[in-house]
Amino acid sequence: MEEKVLIKFRNVVKEFDGTIVLKGINLDIYENEFVTLLGPSGCGKTTLLRILGGFLEASEGSVIFDDEDIKDLPPYKRELNTVFQKYALFPHMSVYENIAFGLKIKKMSKDVIEQKVMRMLKLIGLEGYENKNVTTLSGGQQQRIAIARALVNEPKVLLLDEPLGALDLKLRKEMQYELKRIQQEVGITFIYVTHDQEEALTMSDKIVVMKQGEIQQVGTPQEIYNEPVNRYVANFIGESNIIAGVMLNDYRVKFDDHEFDCVDFGFKENEKVDIVLRPEDIDIVPVAKGKLTGQVLSVLFKGVWNEVMIETVPGTTVSVNMNVIKNRDALSEYSDEMISANDFYVDIEEVGSLDDKDIIARADAQAWKPSDDSYTSINKIEHDLKEELGEYSVTFSTASGLSIQRKIIVVDQPFVKNEKANEAVSAFNFFKTVDEIKESVTLDTDLKTWANAMGWKLSNEDEAVDIYVDYDFDPETIKEGIYQVVFSTEGRELKVHTTDFIEEGQEVGLTFDPEDIHVMEKMEF
Amino acid sequence: MKKFSHLAVPYIVWSIIMLLLPMLLIVFYALTDSGNAIINFSFTLENFRKFFTDPDFLLVLWRSLSIAIKTTVICMLIGYPTAYFISKCSQRVSNILVLAITLPMWINMLVRTYSWIGLLSDGGVLQTLCKILGFGSPQLLYTEGAVLLGMVYNFVPFMILQINTSLAKMDKSLLEAAADLGANKFQVFWKITFPLSLPGVISGIALVFLPAVSSFFIPKLLGGGQYFLIGNVIENQFITAGEWNFGSAVSVIMAVIMMMSMYLVRYIEKRNSGQEKEKKV
Repeated sequence: MEEKVLIKFRNVVKEFDGTIVLKGINLDIYENEFVTLLGPSGCGKTTLLRILGGFLEASEGSVIFDDEDIKDLPPYKRELNTVFQKYALFPHMSVYENIAFGLKIKKMSKDVIEQKVMRMLKLIGLEGYENKNVTTLSGGQQQRIAIARALVNEPKVLLLDEPLGALDLKLRKEMQYELKRIQQEVGITFIYVTHDQEEALTMSDKIVVMKQGEIQQVGTPQEIYNEPVNRYVANFIGESNIIAGVMLNDYRVKFDDHEFDCVDFGFKENEKVDIVLRPEDIDIVPVAKGKLTGQVLSVLFKGVWNEVMIETVPGTTVSVNMNVIKNRDALSEYSDEMISANDFYVDIEEVGSLDDKDIIARADAQAWKPSDDSYTSINKIEHDLKEELGEYSVTFSTASGLSIQRKIIVVDQPFVKNEKANEAVSAFNFFKTVDEIKESVTLDTDLKTWANAMGWKLSNEDEAVDIYVDYDFDPETIKEGIYQVVFSTEGRELKVHTTDFIEEGQEVGLTFDPEDIHVMEKMEF
Repeated sequence: MKKFSHLAVPYIVWSIIMLLLPMLLIVFYALTDSGNAIINFSFTLENFRKFFTDPDFLLVLWRSLSIAIKTTVICMLIGYPTAYFISKCSQRVSNILVLAITLPMWINMLVRTYSWIGLLSDGGVLQTLCKILGFGSPQLLYTEGAVLLGMVYNFVPFMILQINTSLAKMDKSLLEAAADLGANKFQVFWKITFPLSLPGVISGIALVFLPAVSSFFIPKLLGGGQYFLIGNVIENQFITAGEWNFGSAVSVIMAVIMMMSMYLVRYIEKRNSGQEKEKKV
């Protein structure tokens, strides 16, 4: 099918008061196409439409319409018509006069106008309404008249700027079919702007997904839905599970610590990618038959289907005690000097490799002169540490002889292993003063440091796993005492749409076909 | 809100005493003859007959209506383009311009009219300017032109503000839609902007025509007694001649004429727009 390019956007840039809303748009629109510009508000889709309509001027680039640059053509000379967001029907004219407006401007003869208007009224299913006052009509009827008023001029292109936005859900659905039918009947190009992905999928021949003034992807609804180019498009179109993974080589991808066959290729070996698994592409099967297994976390009834959240990989959790103690700085009686340090826990396996520097760091030992806030060095550490469980005393001293005694508690801190998630997490109990907690600017990070919390892959101890901190004290008003701090890794969940009956808490298997795995380039942020 | 409704009672009482009662009294005076007392009076149409049979009074009536119409038309011709210009400016600029138009109204109308006497008088600024420019020294004060000028000067802000309001609140997408349908700027104006601003024009006409037709101190000050209008007749009858009955009759005649003219204007607007817009003037 050889179709003609009707409109060409070439490097169209639009700037408003220093803000760039369109960052060089290149787009071809063919004859008789139903094209949808899709994106959230502020992505530049309406701006692009208004540039085409002639209500805005592009800052850079050109718009070619029918092989002619229309940059300097005023709106009324362009062979296209617009259906406005809020219809913009003329309130002082009847339905007939509204539709006939463009034809009267062109000074057509009365009987030709009447013929055309009547044909339009028939097309939009509002015969007999010609003498009505437009302000008394319903939103849906006004919308149809706005469409008729534009179409009666027989434009080559009809621009529609979120025309269904003001209608209720049921009417909107009806109008979607209506619009598609009208477009097929009159056989011209429709350029449709919307933020509603469902509208876009229902009506379009071609969808242009936009984000912050840039085109993300252009394709048929099927292409956009099945092969989104990145996480943004996948998220915008339909519901999806987006999982981080690694492309091992062509047709072979790894995620959730399993390898799968897929239909994607052309990535670098071991390239990090995002993977889309549509909720409706995943089937729930008995555990033994599943490619992945998991536990049902929740089931939401959505009418036709159930939306099931399945945790394929549970998180790993370690909780530790935080001993909040009094501020206890030791003050020298003779010289102007202060020293402080904390008790701390250490793992028995680490004792052998612990040197003085480590001990100072772990105990957070410091000495300083309060008069000018300058640090003095701790030059002597005495301890009787042994590679055995128990409490040992440690003394930190400065050159002037000021010293402080603290405890080192050697424990056998087992880490929590999570074979299924292929990861382990460990953390230690720790001592901190009220002030240290109150003064912390990034408490989550500090808690991790203080507890020496770590997470790693069982298969590769050097590969770190992200850890999240949870606690239920208020750092602003904390007092002495023992508090629990929980360190955990994130479990991985998949959303599944199914018509089967599933119970919460059930162990299930999940399966999907290689072509259901959609591999995308990792998005740069 | 119902419990606050009794707060309106003083206002209603006030309106009855200060508005309704005087109006009824005027009608009563117009229909009775002079020399009557509260208990002893007789109804008559003599006052009306006197007015409509005296060519002098009819001339004054005609003059009043004609100068009010002239004032209204001139205010429209000046006011519409001004209002249109203001509505096209940015919000900030248009606010400043509206303020500039309202500003003179903060000063008493009488004072402003007096200042025109100084400008127009013999040997005044404007006459001197005419002389310099080689137009001789024409009589400026105490002419119909001076009265017209005074009226336009005093009433044109009402016209501008009314039209500007209706232009400013107009949905701009209607203009875009018309341009989109092939109308050039001229056509957009005549087919969309102007018809939709008519309600503003109508209220402007009301606010200019009514005070213009009954104005008495502008013709008195700038017309200098040579240019007698209906307002001056009424004033004279009450204050100088002491003919309260005749003065009341003239007032009633004026009131009827005004009501009829306003009805006529609204009727024309309704017929033009072809629909029953509930636009209160």
